[in-house]
Amino acid sequence: MRRLSIVVVLLALSIASAAQELRLPNKEGSVKFAVIGDTGEPSSGQAAVARQMADWKSRFPFTFALMMGDNLYGAESARDYERKFSAPYKALLDGGIKFYAALGNHDDDGQIQYKLFNMDGQKYYTFKPQNGVRFFALDSNYVDQKQLQWLDKELAASGSDWKIAFFHHPLYSSGATHGSADLQRGLLEPVFLKYGVNVVFSGHEHFYERVKPQKGVAYFTIGSSSKLRKGDLRKSELTAYGNDTNYAFMLVEIAGDELYFQTINDKGQTLDTGSIKRVGDVKPNPNVTTQPVVPQAKPSPVQPGPTQAKPDPKK
Amino acid sequence: MRVSPWLAIALLSSACAAPAATEEKTPADVALEQGEKKTSTDPAVNPDAAALAEFKMRVDAYADMHKELAKGDAKPQETADPAKISATKQALAGRVQATRVNAKQGDLFTPAVQPVFRRLLSPELKGEDGHDAKEVLKDDAPAAGTVPFKVNGKYPESQPLPSVPANLLLTLPVLPAPLEYRIVGKHMLILDMAADLVADYMLNVMP
Repeated sequence: MRRLSIVVVLLALSIASAAQELRLPNKEGSVKFAVIGDTGEPSSGQAAVARQMADWKSRFPFTFALMMGDNLYGAESARDYERKFSAPYKALLDGGIKFYAALGNHDDDGQIQYKLFNMDGQKYYTFKPQNGVRFFALDSNYVDQKQLQWLDKELAASGSDWKIAFFHHPLYSSGATHGSADLQRGLLEPVFLKYGVNVVFSGHEHFYERVKPQKGVAYFTIGSSSKLRKGDLRKSELTAYGNDTNYAFMLVEIAGDELYFQTINDKGQTLDTGSIKRVGDVKPNPNVTTQPVVPQAKPSPVQPGPTQAKPDPKK
Repeated sequence: MRVSPWLAIALLSSACAAPAATEEKTPADVALEQGEKKTSTDPAVNPDAAALAEFKMRVDAYADMHKELAKGDAKPQETADPAKISATKQALAGRVQATRVNAKQGDLFTPAVQPVFRRLLSPELKGEDGHDAKEVLKDDAPAAGTVPFKVNGKYPESQPLPSVPANLLLTLPVLPAPLEYRIVGKHMLILDMAADLVADYMLNVMP
């Protein structure tokens, strides 16, 4: 009996340890970054996620972080910037991590002037951290003619780079509260397909969802880095994996034509992991991407699978 | 008929140089084209051109005034000090309010352009897209009674800024920075986003 107890304890320890293992290749010269969303609530969850990010940075030296909007909930005084951003992420800021923010529906435009959000005074902008990868931060609160024309021009000029878009409202979502942003999708998705955008990150929903690739584009929602809406993820045909019970952040690595991801909760446990590969060349076509991403490996989350489906009250 | 080999080569190379197929337009391209036509200020294209031209002139004048005022301590610029962001906004808001002290409702949304806006929005609020648009507006709505429908009134800092449904935006005249449309409840605002002020508003735009 005693032996059995020891075995059980060892097994539990080994599972816990496996859950905290880095599942990314951590290759030299690869592009390494973190993704967080809906971070602007000074909560215990936010503090725990920030601590985990700093801790994982020692194992996986990511150099920047994307923010999916709702960077500051409520008031935006100097004290609020500190309480909701610069204090919780101090270790990362001190460690040289650059944060690149998108605006959410709770964000004031003044944020575009905040140096630590690296928006360069613009509500939508692009940056290239390294050769071969380009990011496009969009303002999904206000998709007007000017932004669409800018996006078309910038994507057209981005050639063979990995193209990664990020913004607040998810184009595909199984959330009960918000769901897919259909109107933005009607306009943005064809542009993404036309120019071969490979991956899209969003927030707005306070959970994590990896959507099955849609028309060859990979979609992730990560809006649970400081707020959580438990029970809101209604697993649907879109869902490849989801979790609405843990605060979370993502680590991402791009090496050559492969992108690897690992989603981690506030206790440092891995929720989801996997990789995608981009194939083909970009040839303008608004209906289907000619550079689709394909899942590489079967994701092997250590934690239990997606949230159980719940009856949809709308149906 | 005998074709010259040189002509054949010329035809072949011209065919190769041309795109393999006509590049298809995205829904965004189509919406942009339609929006441009509906909001055109050219009387040959649009029967509402005069009212829209007047509207454009007024919002452009607002943007010019704003540019003049956004100088010195009221000039938004990148900073690592959030206190400066608030101070700049306040300084700018104060200058805009002082300059527009006599501004009143209808200065931008003139009586002539208001029915044009209603005509532009009406079809977009019907059908599936219309339903989605109304859901978006409900989804992001600020708390009832918190937004002042008052020219030069301050948009409340602690309230969310409702997203504007993309189909509505593409059918309306483009606004120059820093102006943006917002819909709160049944009413439409033009907000000065740099100063967080209500530049003008129009009641009961939504059915």
